[in-house]
Amino acid sequence: MTPHRSRHGGRPYLLVAPAVALLLLFFVAPMLQLVRVSLYEGGGRSGFGIGGGGFYKPGTWTLQAYRTLLGETYFREVLTFTVLLGVGVAGITLAIAYPLSLFIHRLPPRAKSLALTAVVLPKLANVLVLIYGLELLLSSSGPVNGLLVGLGAVSEPVTLFHNLPGVLIGETYLILPYAVLVLVAALDRIDPTLLPAARGLGAGPLWAFWRTTLPLSAPGIALAALLSLIWALGAFIGPVLLGSPQELTLAVEVQRQTFENINWPRGAATAVLMLVTLAACLTLYQVPARILRRWRSMP
Amino acid sequence: MRASNLGITDALRLEELTRSFGRSAPAVNRVNLRLEAGSLFCLLGPSGCGKSTLLRLIGGYLTPDAGRVFLANTDVTDTPLERRDIGMVFQNYALFPHLSARANVAFGLEARGVPRPERQQRIEDILDRVGLLPAERGRRPRELSGGQQQRVALARALVIRPKLLLLDEPLTNLDRQLREQMRLEIKEIQRTTGVTTLLVTHDQEEALSLADRVGVMLGGGLLQVDAPRVLYNCPRTPFIARFLGLANLLRIADVTDDRFQLEGGLSLRGKTATGNWAMIRPEKLLVGPAAEHCPTRWTGRVTSRLFLGAHQVLQVAVTPSVSVRVCCRPGEAGDGDELTLGVPDDAVWIIPEDDP
Repeated sequence: MTPHRSRHGGRPYLLVAPAVALLLLFFVAPMLQLVRVSLYEGGGRSGFGIGGGGFYKPGTWTLQAYRTLLGETYFREVLTFTVLLGVGVAGITLAIAYPLSLFIHRLPPRAKSLALTAVVLPKLANVLVLIYGLELLLSSSGPVNGLLVGLGAVSEPVTLFHNLPGVLIGETYLILPYAVLVLVAALDRIDPTLLPAARGLGAGPLWAFWRTTLPLSAPGIALAALLSLIWALGAFIGPVLLGSPQELTLAVEVQRQTFENINWPRGAATAVLMLVTLAACLTLYQVPARILRRWRSMP
Repeated sequence: MRASNLGITDALRLEELTRSFGRSAPAVNRVNLRLEAGSLFCLLGPSGCGKSTLLRLIGGYLTPDAGRVFLANTDVTDTPLERRDIGMVFQNYALFPHLSARANVAFGLEARGVPRPERQQRIEDILDRVGLLPAERGRRPRELSGGQQQRVALARALVIRPKLLLLDEPLTNLDRQLREQMRLEIKEIQRTTGVTTLLVTHDQEEALSLADRVGVMLGGGLLQVDAPRVLYNCPRTPFIARFLGLANLLRIADVTDDRFQLEGGLSLRGKTATGNWAMIRPEKLLVGPAAEHCPTRWTGRVTSRLFLGAHQVLQVAVTPSVSVRVCCRPGEAGDGDELTLGVPDDAVWIIPEDDP
């Protein structure tokens, strides 16, 4: 037997080359393009086509778009609303997803896979179909209002879409499946004997949950929160279809500036600032995540 | 300190305990058992015999379909597991992976609201006793070896001063050398703490060496409960004879006067008893000069030899259809040798029952 030598010898980078090329082509290049567009001077003339003018003035370099955005109240309001909406949606999503995931996690195997399928099923339908289905559910004569009135929670039907509650419900509805999948996977990874072991040591059901299941699923909770936040910060469908002009997010603003106002530098600058906001939120997010990690390992 | 032989109430009593899963035959079927306070009891049986289920029923991790569990004369059948005061060491140890060894041990004391100074004292004391070094006490389970994890699990179960200690296959996950060391340590800890202990194992050597009494389980029922020596020498069924060590089992064809006629034309002299099987342990058969003085002698040829270091096990064909195994010193005989075996009268045990 001769000593085996890898055929790829000292050139392992050849193996990752296709992936790197793909990333450069479809991720880094458009990103650089986006930044470049945001640094053009806005075009005054309307019309389509490169060189024909309209979208921006070719060959110019200016921070004008950023100066305009950061100087106006309108943009700051949209930015604030986007962040608050994102945090709110992520919070509501987690608050619903965690108990639901606990419930699914404890189901017997067959019921569990059925329940998980049911959770993911909406993701197989077209998002427009989903939203219009949601509108039917939430309309003043729909089943949700019927239930609320029937239970006596409200005296007359409440408006649940084309306003803030509509946006919250819609975005939570769209993000929930991802959070549930992450959380059920995290709960399933926990050794199932730990909870009975804690009970056997004298802990009541709640205390045992508080000291074992909850801290052990903390990484899953952190991941689900992060995912929900990223999705919610990019909220577009909910505000457009279930909101009113008051529920304006950065994603909607990018679309409006780019395709309705035909002001590409402003749209691109908004998109760049949206990415910066996301990065800032993810950085800030490390603070509660670190506290969570420390709390989890407390003696 | 043992409270044995004084007739004090049993630490544990099971009455007709039964549990089924689904529609299959009961995993635990009408089990009755009494454990003397301070004793070490081993539940021995092959995998799937229901021994772990029985342990879980006692600990309260499962509820029985029928029957009662008494702890020191108190009926705890309907007591939730957190109020039973039973310490349990799981087969995989079930240590909390996010907590240090110390915090794992502290868990049961915190749940009981033991004040901090006393808690810390008791934690260090019990970790001293199970032999976990101070440097290892701040580590998480995954930073500890299998043996160290075992010690933490033992300390965690003992620190709550349980009325009963349950050990589910505690040594199965350890390598052989460590297993023998931990076996001695468990016995020592059990003896010094005096906690009534019930250990589940499928390893007959473990059961025989550790226990004051052993219960053999098969198909959800307890077949025989006895001291290890009694169980080994006087098994009630052929299954128990085979499960505990090597055994020559010879079918009894007929009984005439004081002789048992065996299959293949062999015969034996033995105490009068009824049963279908005669058992002779391989180490009780005599070879060489010692065999000459035996009233019953068989001769045969050695067909195979298993060398085990201190001794060897020979397969001897004493008739064309019957082979027996003999345990002797290495070098006393080899493959193909003609061998005379002496069968002392007291080497024979007539097995009273057939397998259920």
